[in-house]
Amino acid sequence: MKLDRRNLLAGGAALATVPHLGREAFAQTRAETLRQVTGNAVNTLDPTMPGSTREAFGISVNIYDRLVSFGKKQTPAGWVFDPDNIRGELAEKVVTSADGMTFTFHLRRDAKFHDGTPVTAEDVKWSLDRAVSARSLAAAQIQTGSWTKPEQFKIIDQYTVEAKVDKPDRLALPNLCTLYCIIFNSKVVKSHATAADPWGQEWTKTNTAGSGAYILESFRPGEQVILRRNDAWNRSIDGKPAGFRRVICQTIPEAATRASLIEKGDADLSIDLAASDVATLASRGTVKVISTPQFNAFSMIAFNTQAAPFNNKKLRQAVAAALPYGNIFKAALFERGAPLFGANWTDTPPSGIFPQPMPLKQDVALARKLLAEAGFPNGLDTPFAFNVGAAAIAEPMAALIKESLAAINIRVDIQKLPDAQISTMVTEKKLPFFTETSIAWLPSTDYFFRNFFTGNQRWNYSSWDNAEIVALAEKARFEINAAEYEKLCKKMISILAEEVPVLLLWQPNQDAVMPKNVEGYVYGYHRQVDYRDMKRA
Amino acid sequence: MGLAVSIARRAGKRVVSSLPALFGVVIFTFLLMRVLPGDPAIFFASGPNAGQAEIEQIRQQMGLDKPVPQQLLLYLRDIGTGNLGRSMTTGQPVVTDLVSRLPASLELTFVALMLALILALPLGILAALRPNSLIDNIVRMICTLGVCVPTFVSGLLFIFAFYYILGIAPDPTGRIDIFAGQPPTITGFLLIDAAVAGDWDAWRSAARQLILPACTMALFVLAPLARMTRASMLAVLTSDFVRTGEALGLSRRRVVLVYALRNALLPVLTIMGIVFSTMLGANVLVEKVFSWPGVASYALDALLSSDYAPVQGFVLLMATIFVMVNLTVDVLYGLADPRISIE
Repeated sequence: MKLDRRNLLAGGAALATVPHLGREAFAQTRAETLRQVTGNAVNTLDPTMPGSTREAFGISVNIYDRLVSFGKKQTPAGWVFDPDNIRGELAEKVVTSADGMTFTFHLRRDAKFHDGTPVTAEDVKWSLDRAVSARSLAAAQIQTGSWTKPEQFKIIDQYTVEAKVDKPDRLALPNLCTLYCIIFNSKVVKSHATAADPWGQEWTKTNTAGSGAYILESFRPGEQVILRRNDAWNRSIDGKPAGFRRVICQTIPEAATRASLIEKGDADLSIDLAASDVATLASRGTVKVISTPQFNAFSMIAFNTQAAPFNNKKLRQAVAAALPYGNIFKAALFERGAPLFGANWTDTPPSGIFPQPMPLKQDVALARKLLAEAGFPNGLDTPFAFNVGAAAIAEPMAALIKESLAAINIRVDIQKLPDAQISTMVTEKKLPFFTETSIAWLPSTDYFFRNFFTGNQRWNYSSWDNAEIVALAEKARFEINAAEYEKLCKKMISILAEEVPVLLLWQPNQDAVMPKNVEGYVYGYHRQVDYRDMKRA
Repeated sequence: MGLAVSIARRAGKRVVSSLPALFGVVIFTFLLMRVLPGDPAIFFASGPNAGQAEIEQIRQQMGLDKPVPQQLLLYLRDIGTGNLGRSMTTGQPVVTDLVSRLPASLELTFVALMLALILALPLGILAALRPNSLIDNIVRMICTLGVCVPTFVSGLLFIFAFYYILGIAPDPTGRIDIFAGQPPTITGFLLIDAAVAGDWDAWRSAARQLILPACTMALFVLAPLARMTRASMLAVLTSDFVRTGEALGLSRRRVVLVYALRNALLPVLTIMGIVFSTMLGANVLVEKVFSWPGVASYALDALLSSDYAPVQGFVLLMATIFVMVNLTVDVLYGLADPRISIE
């Protein structure tokens, strides 16, 4: 019924004489269109713009190509990106030198930008120079792969680029897979650059100059983005263009509305439904739910290890022993994720993978004992903070924490703070005890430890400053020997388990909900949808 | 002629006298935003590796690295040149955002107000004609219900009933069916644009999208309008000129609709002005529920992320609209009752 109405509308509108850009597009049928509904909005077409949203990341993945990209692998929960399998995208071949410090990219000769001009080494060099030099989000990210200056990128010939790092950095190549290292049509962007804006960043916010699988059709910031398939694109694994002719990414703020749109078949995909709606939809069986634990993310409870009272290790251990992890997992997340608590190891973890389940278990007697040893025989008062945006999960969590800590005489005052306020307080290290969820694009253990457990930046939630961890993480970064790397990682994880600067809770699921005939969803490092893999059966 | 001149004079005076108020609003919002906890630079610097350098960069981009008095002066200068700054949330200039979103809010509010008036005036009159009768009590109940049920609840209920269960309403996602073509933008009011372009498919699609949110809002403002009509009609119906009219043998219809109603409309007009302005700002919940791309939800999103420029721009816009609405109401006063001339 719905399809008929649409076709009718489309037909009627095609007959209408009013000339308008958007018009030619909807002669295409509904079946060839993928309509994604999302709670947040795309705010820029240039993902490197400070403040760009995750949804903006997702759109850029489909409009631009990179030199290389992550492959995919199948897991029991579905297809996920594979950080260990890097394949060429604009590069048809990547040659890594024996010392692991020089990468030679041989470009595809048939690759063209959306305006029909070929992708050349000059574009690649300019785009990577932009990534390391322009004032954008890119520079901070890719310096984690030792990319810091334009001199590292060299044009060999029209279709060959060489890139060099000073040390064999494990994350050098993975960083070039990320969506910050997109390749721009340099001639086009340069023509819009000004003296004050040498990299054309103002222009790329609302315009595109890419070579990717989709071409921008219309962009209404905060409302919707419509993409049209690039039929000449052949950078997929099988060399074919993307499955859907047209993609609509539409912002629908109300989660309940998104759920009913999917259920009614009016929308084709949502990855940010409320956990309770997902459970209901899954039980009704009318739609397909692909739940992938976000194996590069983790939710945690963090302590400020630099200020009283939680600079006291015994106190942190006491809290760790007092919490009912299983109940929190059930009440807050409906068990929709992979737990990171309740492991049985004591001194050394079974592997060097991180995040992995930590030996966190509820033991109230032990908690009482540790609290007394910590020097708080009469307990203490502490606030516990979370952000409004995460209230659906954090509110029941906070209630259970308050209840369980009251049992060992720690009195918790729950603080629900607006997002902007909590991020300020986290950055200024003013919160003693709070919960957060964070993600690493490149899920390797040393990267997690460098970003989340060392340094003075926002992501070191617990402000942890442990000299041994700093040394180990830096060593691991440049360790090529796999066995040695594993050993360093295990060591870092066991120190984390002993010191408990944060309590790891779980990896929440990414629940992708779609009609049964939509296929090809892959969980990506950016937690967005790669439309290029998707099709309708 | 004399009437037109006096109205124009009055309007001019009102505009001039409202300037200090607008100026006060600008200063107040500016300071209020800066007093709110939460640093926008830190909020927006949320990249995977955002460090202090990036925060500083955004702070500089938003002009927050300068002392507050200097920021205020720069802001006033920008307003003077018609520049309201750039939104970090959408990445667009605030003026562009407001211009593209205001028609959406206005269209919704106008239609809702019209619906509300079409219902409220007859209901109010009926209730006044037979005070404390069954009709009066039914009207009272409808009004109470409309006020009691928050708009997001009634909105979600409407969606549930008409879209989800009955399937007669279109999906509640914005101003026009996403698969239909949008008419060329002339005024930004889709119903008008589509009609001008003669694109009746688009017109129907836009009207269908409009019905549920407009009803939701109309229900909410039904009460003040209907109750005010009733009260004011009651007062007028007992006045001397109505009794005289009846004594002279004029028809009941003529007495009620011509003599009584026109005189009873003054307080209703006042309330209408207030209701309209309130609706524009307060329809944020309706906008959220129906994914309506209006100014109120825009301002709320900006507020939650401490994005100063859009909030300031929104408040300034609302204040301006409020002034204009009051002006219009004043002008309408003059038309409804020529005796009145507010100087």
